[in-house]
Amino acid sequence: MAKNRLSLILHAHLPFVRHIEYPRFLEEDWLYESLSETYLPMLRMLRRLRSEGYCFRLTFSMSPTLCAMLADPALQERFIKYLELHKDLGEKEMERCSKEQLECMPLAKMYYDLTLKNLSDFCDLYHNNVLEGFRDLEDSGHIDLITTAATHAYLPLYCDYPTAIKAQVEVAVQSHIRHFKKSPKGFWLPECGYFPGLEEYLRKQEIDWFQVSAHSMLVASEPVRMGDYAPVRCPDGVAAFPRDYHLTSLVWSNTEGYPCDGNYREFYRDIGYDLPMEYIRPYIHEPEVRVFTGYKYWAITGPTNEKRLYRPELAAGKVQEHADNFLYRIRMKNSALDRSLRDGAPFYTLGFDAELFGHWWFEGIDWLEAVIRRASDADDLFLTTPSDYLATFPELQTVQPGYSSWGQGGYSSVWLDGSNAWIYRHIHKAIERMEELAVRFPEQQSLKQRFLNQASREVLLSMASDWPFILHNKTSVGYADKRLRDHLRNFNLVYENMCKNAVNTEWLVKAEKRDNIFPDMDYNIFNPSYNGGQE
Amino acid sequence: MILIKIDALTTTELQYIAQQEGMENWESLERDELIEALEDLYDEQEFEDRPDRDSKVNRNRFCNSLTDFRGKDDIQLELPGVEELPAVYAETSIHLLLRDPYWAYAFWSISPIDRSRIEEEGGIKDLLLRVSMRRSAADDEFFDISVGFDDTDWNINLPEMGCEYSVSLCKMDHEGGLEELCESKTVRTPKCYWTDHLDQLREEPALFKLYFSSLVTKGGIIVDNPTVQEIAASLSSVARS
Repeated sequence: MAKNRLSLILHAHLPFVRHIEYPRFLEEDWLYESLSETYLPMLRMLRRLRSEGYCFRLTFSMSPTLCAMLADPALQERFIKYLELHKDLGEKEMERCSKEQLECMPLAKMYYDLTLKNLSDFCDLYHNNVLEGFRDLEDSGHIDLITTAATHAYLPLYCDYPTAIKAQVEVAVQSHIRHFKKSPKGFWLPECGYFPGLEEYLRKQEIDWFQVSAHSMLVASEPVRMGDYAPVRCPDGVAAFPRDYHLTSLVWSNTEGYPCDGNYREFYRDIGYDLPMEYIRPYIHEPEVRVFTGYKYWAITGPTNEKRLYRPELAAGKVQEHADNFLYRIRMKNSALDRSLRDGAPFYTLGFDAELFGHWWFEGIDWLEAVIRRASDADDLFLTTPSDYLATFPELQTVQPGYSSWGQGGYSSVWLDGSNAWIYRHIHKAIERMEELAVRFPEQQSLKQRFLNQASREVLLSMASDWPFILHNKTSVGYADKRLRDHLRNFNLVYENMCKNAVNTEWLVKAEKRDNIFPDMDYNIFNPSYNGGQE
Repeated sequence: MILIKIDALTTTELQYIAQQEGMENWESLERDELIEALEDLYDEQEFEDRPDRDSKVNRNRFCNSLTDFRGKDDIQLELPGVEELPAVYAETSIHLLLRDPYWAYAFWSISPIDRSRIEEEGGIKDLLLRVSMRRSAADDEFFDISVGFDDTDWNINLPEMGCEYSVSLCKMDHEGGLEELCESKTVRTPKCYWTDHLDQLREEPALFKLYFSSLVTKGGIIVDNPTVQEIAASLSSVARS
């Protein structure tokens, strides 16, 4: 029987947000919510399957900014405080529900128990650093870990700046080696943003493959024999794996996807918004900024304000049904494609943001578990990874994918529109000036070296795709705008000081403490003739 | 890339967003009216942002709006010595960024020295962007876009795929003399093989299935990309006729 080869790539990324100068900071909750709702439960699920002897292979893309935060002792301590606060809230909720909302009591208990499990896993099992958990699963051969651009820059908009792209790739690989003690073989292109020629930067770092959006094969300048059903090899030898939009959208469509089912838990109804301020105040942000607490009692139900109570047993039934449906659709697709594929069995690549599972779609991790269990038991389905595929099938068609991204419109318009186009004037200028500094002041020592290294960090942090994405989506606009301006202003300060042969030490000490990412940063990477000390 | 449905928000949350968006009558609107008004508002903004597209509001835009730190500017402490970003930099240069195969974005600046020189030389009649389009070594042409002396950026419509484009900032004096102040690097718009080989896709159902089966949801929605949609529309219009 022909095997359906399926590769699931989960991309774990958050922008670098670290504000230990405040007792609590709103946007740091992005990290804490992802840890408690996605990364810790995901690791629990994968370890459970491994202990039961299931064979599976998944790929996790771990962004350098996320890794830096997960390994940061100050943020680890703050996450423990976050969990303790949610534990307190759980105790208070169980008491409140027992008196006035009895039907929600089992759900309050469920969230409370999850918080306790997270606390125990985080502190006792992973010693505050969940990267240990991912390393362990890679060591046992169950997952492959890959990297992405250092600060998740949307690379097509920097195609005129080779040193900046090189820095994004090289610093990412260095960061990955520091955290996981291995070189990554794959590279997640941020936002699936690809332009022809990008692969050359990856090849120089010995990257074997990257993923691209589904339409990159149809819009290529040459015909692709297998469409989206096999990777292609770019002219320089790096392989590109196209994402299957049809299969991905079974999960990731906000109108048709499984997570839209009315029995699943509603993400947007949270006691942080629903309960009176005097009750919830200790668990939200000052001064009375309501936030998600994770205590959510209602099911999606439908497009109505009147939500049904969430019933985990109904949702669990749907999870099994949707896992069955997912595998059924893969098998159906294989049969339907039979006559279209001239060069063998299809290989399906599916890429998701990891936070979809558990955080946005509460039952997503259970669904993933059900898919893995079924695939392991089936004789016509095979969960594998792009690296394994390349080891088995090294002969690929040589063709260059087309310019593309997975954003709205499929090109660069999300990261370059009326709301965010202004940023490129400043970021491009900062890159040009950083190159100038690296050429004018090579191989500096001591304070100037630290000053220039910090300037490089500020340039890289300003390039994150998250800021223009947030500006485009009109969400946390104030924060994104401020972060962008601060990194660029910080860079300008270094540039102006270096032009006067001066170092602002007060700024340097504070900036190093605040933006402490990439401890091995070497500003010489921005020198166009720099080759990292290699011959 | 975040999954979200505006329908899921409570009426209170919708009212909060409406209030933040500056709607005057948000308190008097019913839930359905609030959803409709917000969709209209964002649809309008979307159109302003992307006049080239027949856009429909994307509900993804509502994500995280509840945790938005709107109206609070002092959210991060300032580091010592930093100064505001300049509006433009003191140099004469122009940059061109490719947004998609149909549009590019240009931004430029004119240095104070060049501005003074231009004024000393009697000012200008017109400032224009000269967009050069090159199909091949022997086949190139250009078109001009008139811009104001205080403009600093422009969205440029690119008429053909598969060409190289560059843009020069030029001044025209009162006698009609043209001087190039600066020129951008070149961008190349992608060329899609299948837009020129539609017959092949039309005549080979297996080929059509190979490409499109991975680009359509189970509900029949084609991936959001104008090139793919253009190919699909061409094939379906021929099929209908």
